[in-house]
Amino acid sequence: MKGVLAAVVLIAAFAVACDRGAGGGPGITVVIAEYSKDHTRGFWQALAEQYTKQGGPKVDLRIIDWNSIDQQVTTMIQNNQPPDVLNLNSFSSYARDGLLYPAEDVLSPNTREDFLEAFARGGQYQGKLYGLPILSSARAFFYNRDLFAKAGLEAPPKTWNDFVQHAKKLQALGGGVIGYAMPLGPEEAQAEWAIWMWNGGGDWKQADAWAINSDANVRTLTFLADLANRQRVTQVNPGKTNRTDGAFQLFKDGKVGMVIGFSPLAKQLDAEGKVKYGVAEMPTTLGKPTTLGVEDYLMAFKKKDNRDAVKKFLDLYYQPDNITKWITAEGFLPVTKSGLERMRSNAALAPYLDALPNARLAPTTDPAWDRVKLDVQQNIGAAVQPGGNPKGVLDQLQRNAVAAAGAR
Amino acid sequence: MRAEAPAPARAVKGRRWEALLWLGPSLALIAGVVFYPAVALVHASLGRYSITGVYQGSVGADNYVRLLQQPALSTVLTNTVVWVGAVVAVTVVVSLALAQLLNQPFPGRALVRWALIVPWAASLIMTSKLFVWIYDYYFGALNRLLTSAGVLARPVDWLGDDATVMGAMIAVGIFVSLPFTTYVVLAGLASIPGEVYEAARVDGASRWATYRRLTLPLLKPALLVAVVLNVIYVFNSFPIVWTLNDRNPGFAHDTMVTFMYKIAFKSALRDVGLAAALGVVNVLLILVAVLAYLRTVRWDDGEAAASGRA
Repeated sequence: MKGVLAAVVLIAAFAVACDRGAGGGPGITVVIAEYSKDHTRGFWQALAEQYTKQGGPKVDLRIIDWNSIDQQVTTMIQNNQPPDVLNLNSFSSYARDGLLYPAEDVLSPNTREDFLEAFARGGQYQGKLYGLPILSSARAFFYNRDLFAKAGLEAPPKTWNDFVQHAKKLQALGGGVIGYAMPLGPEEAQAEWAIWMWNGGGDWKQADAWAINSDANVRTLTFLADLANRQRVTQVNPGKTNRTDGAFQLFKDGKVGMVIGFSPLAKQLDAEGKVKYGVAEMPTTLGKPTTLGVEDYLMAFKKKDNRDAVKKFLDLYYQPDNITKWITAEGFLPVTKSGLERMRSNAALAPYLDALPNARLAPTTDPAWDRVKLDVQQNIGAAVQPGGNPKGVLDQLQRNAVAAAGAR
Repeated sequence: MRAEAPAPARAVKGRRWEALLWLGPSLALIAGVVFYPAVALVHASLGRYSITGVYQGSVGADNYVRLLQQPALSTVLTNTVVWVGAVVAVTVVVSLALAQLLNQPFPGRALVRWALIVPWAASLIMTSKLFVWIYDYYFGALNRLLTSAGVLARPVDWLGDDATVMGAMIAVGIFVSLPFTTYVVLAGLASIPGEVYEAARVDGASRWATYRRLTLPLLKPALLVAVVLNVIYVFNSFPIVWTLNDRNPGFAHDTMVTFMYKIAFKSALRDVGLAAALGVVNVLLILVAVLAYLRTVRWDDGEAAASGRA
């Protein structure tokens, strides 16, 4: 009897203790997306220790992989246990729902002024900075030098006509060589699409209204569908190929002539040393090529009595030594003026740093984008499958985007 | 008498309290793990949520109405029926044969029995990833095998071609369901007493007749368990469909469970309330399916019928 009673009391005490631990208390919860298995946890663990050593409260650090981070964060908020600091690729829905501190509440002026102009703009919701840039990347055009030499190609293509000719010659090499690897599967289709869209003269929006099915965009998507089904210079089923384990994997295996990549891909290629590759600007129909810049964010959640702790943590991350150390380790690009200065000396990053000023960002400042992005990811691939209907797909995306702009 | 009566009553009362204390932890566990999530699910299905997960108030049955209006619903329902039906049917048939084989004494039987456990013990995600590579168009072992053996003239994009995706997923579903089912059938076989076979031999029954009229009826309870549990497992199976189908846009190859996940987190709907409504529908659906099945096979007199015929 006594033993049982003791056990029950113990269980109850344990439950209460667990509740304390999870329910905020004096610590802060920091959720970070896993950019790489090698570097992400190591860096943030060290930063958390440094923070606590400098007198900050304990940090409950959670590193979550990209595939499940949306789900886990939604669940946390749904259960009324939002993190204190969150790292994600979107922010404006959170700002709209009134969950976030504006930057002036949680960042010292020096840090705020250090942000590169474009990225500070990309973190604004209704004129206020909520999405603090954590790092950036820029896409670039990758080509396989060995395959180019074999096909008698001297330089990467500058125009779309060049591009088609190059792709045909590469594909004609035979032996399983693929001219261009096009990942329009659900993983990251919006990025692949945006780069082609911009270089075809289109955009997500015209003025302030969605313009996904503009004539220019229909032309561009038809061009991509033709690459797959008429010219047949892509891998099989490009509308069902993801980026990481699809297009990049094929390029790393030396099977692909051209692909749109970014600096972490270059890092992996260098480490493997199997493929001799070059990096160039995108082929374009415009006078000047443009590329996609990607900005990820840190957000500070409004919770009772956490402002000072959060401010201290953010200021620690944005110390030039810390932020540059991490961005360099992960192979990404800077978001601060001081970081840009420091990383200039790295020759391997030169093509991306040069591309950065011309890079365009996705419309992340519009909360509707969070739905439009998912819609594009899930549906645009259908347009480049055999029998696909580019205009029909874009019309549907446009209708949904307009509806999303009205919904919450 | 009078003096004695209250004593046992107090003892019984005391023991009742004691019993409650012993049951307490498991009751609390059931309340926390089964009851609370069920209530939370129903509550969520009646609410409206922002894309971030913020609760915005009750909407009554609105989510259920919207669920019925989803254009993908009929496709997903059909997929689910095909997926569950094919996996469970083929699994049971193959398991019957496998169990018969493993019930015979032969050298190395213990080893084979152990080997059968492997796909069961491996994590479903690992197994699914493995099959993604086996099925791969460019690097996959399956295409290499079939083209070099002359079965296929050219490789097939098993996971990208709309005609083959479901079949490829069903094959993996069967592969991971076989061990459990085979062991249930094996246990059923072990419970059949040897005398009934002796009697059949004395009566001069052929081997096939013995199997059909003796073994199968006596296996009925085991088969019932195997079918019901498999229907539930396969219906709820997430990792296989999710992993093998992750490259395909839209909902063309989703089952109810992956559809629910996509509604909540991956599609433009991004709606926790709508997904919770689908979750409730899923529970009801599986309940109805299992009850209907048990009714048609009349599970309560299953054993009686079997022994009667034997």
